[in-house]
Amino acid sequence: MEDFERQLRNALARKQEPPTFEAKVYAAVAAQRSGRGIFWRWATEGAAVVVIASGFWMGYQHENQQRAAGEAAKARLEVALRITVTELSKIQKTVRTSTEDE
Amino acid sequence: MTFAEVLGANQSMVFSLAFHFLRDPGAAEEVAQDVFLRLHQKFDELEGPRHATFWLRKATSRRAIDYVRKRGSRATIALDDIAEPSSAEQPGDPLLNRRLRQLIATLPEKPRMVMVLRYQEDLMPEEISEILEMPVRTVKSHLQRSLAMLREKIDRSLGDIR
Repeated sequence: MEDFERQLRNALARKQEPPTFEAKVYAAVAAQRSGRGIFWRWATEGAAVVVIASGFWMGYQHENQQRAAGEAAKARLEVALRITVTELSKIQKTVRTSTEDE
Repeated sequence: MTFAEVLGANQSMVFSLAFHFLRDPGAAEEVAQDVFLRLHQKFDELEGPRHATFWLRKATSRRAIDYVRKRGSRATIALDDIAEPSSAEQPGDPLLNRRLRQLIATLPEKPRMVMVLRYQEDLMPEEISEILEMPVRTVKSHLQRSLAMLREKIDRSLGDIR
């Protein structure tokens, strides 16, 4: 059995890695580092774009709300003016009638 | 301990583990590179050269087994066509060595990795059990069964030659 195990050790003796192996590992490590750098740059730029877009969106929403409030106030004023004009016409008519009677 | 020192001291071990398990020099190189890349990511967590070697054996075993599972039924290189990477010295009968490697390659994944760790790295069953996270008795049982099978097939091959 010992002899057979020695044969197995011979058969499974360590092999030499290819001569370019070490260089390839360092290249892969460098690529991984720069990949991580690119990721963080994209993440930072992406976050900046989101913040700016949010600012624009909030400004747009605020402007819309103000415009809507202005429109509503204008409509209310128009209604009030219309009511006043109607009331004034009624009063004028009453005054004219009473003057003619005298 | 620097990454360069660990790489220099262990690259032959990692490549050989992957090669003897996968029997494909290209795949072995891919697996070994991936293992060292992961080592670089985890380098700060390692406690010393011995821990680094243990970590590398464990990561290589796991990664090589995963590689075979992912490759699945994809066509593999015929065992006779494999170009053997060079080694410092080749003791023993080259034909017998080749035949033994071919037979080991036919073993299922776990017993094959147990054999490679036992006879390439000269590890004891207890150490193999830690690396492969399996009970010591399972390691011993894989070894016994694989040895019996290999002996039987080698004896039969030699009988055919005689």
